[in-house]
Amino acid sequence: MTDAEFHEAYGRHKDVLYRFARRMTGSAAVAEDLVHDCFLMLWRNSASYRADRGTMRSFLIGVTRNLALKRLQRERPFDELEENSAVCGPINAAGRERGEMVAQAVAALPPLQREAIILAEYEEMSLEEIARATGVELAAVKSRLHRARENLRRTLAPLLETKGAA
Amino acid sequence: MEPTDDPKLRKLLKEWQVPGAPPSLDARVLARRERWWSFLLTGSIRVPVPVGVAIAAILLAMSVALVRQPAVKRADSPVSLVDFRPVDDPHVRVIRGQL
Repeated sequence: MTDAEFHEAYGRHKDVLYRFARRMTGSAAVAEDLVHDCFLMLWRNSASYRADRGTMRSFLIGVTRNLALKRLQRERPFDELEENSAVCGPINAAGRERGEMVAQAVAALPPLQREAIILAEYEEMSLEEIARATGVELAAVKSRLHRARENLRRTLAPLLETKGAA
Repeated sequence: MEPTDDPKLRKLLKEWQVPGAPPSLDARVLARRERWWSFLLTGSIRVPVPVGVAIAAILLAMSVALVRQPAVKRADSPVSLVDFRPVDDPHVRVIRGQL
């Protein structure tokens, strides 16, 4: 990869990766570290990206996602990444910003449901793109998204019932 | 993107906005790809406080030890020439042998 190609890739994808990492981890500093490590990996080992296997964006999101999950596992080794039975209860809406409450509800999701909902709702990726980026079957993505939305409907019920969300 | 059957939920989720990458990330990512030796001139490293304190304590202890070392040597007894005797016959006899 040439200098110009790297600059182009960085300029085009840095915001998407940063927003994804920040929503996944809830921390600006950690998100910056993850995106930095992702581009460092691309620079050192650009041959690992193959255009015939998907877009550069899917590839970089996949790398950032793996780094984020590794970090989560290191910080919370006993938490399950995919808790099929995880049920999130309604959040306390008293005196809080709506955006802040949404952030809390997304953060409360199990990591694999969280990444699916972030990629689908915020980055507007197709199911196929999400499957490629996360390295799972399409059915698994659909299932995670379904469970994530169910959880969010339950968690954010107090907000969904108010007129502001209508 | 796949359609969801819940536009209310989608609209609500969009209320959580996150800014794009900060300028500090540009500096970190693009600076990382400069020549290796430029780090010696412009680079910086982050050192955890306990490590920094430990390094400072070790350097302090080493410099104290270096300062005190010559003082200990000076306390040694001076060289005495009382028993010194010059060589009586300074001519050296060379013995040749055959290999």
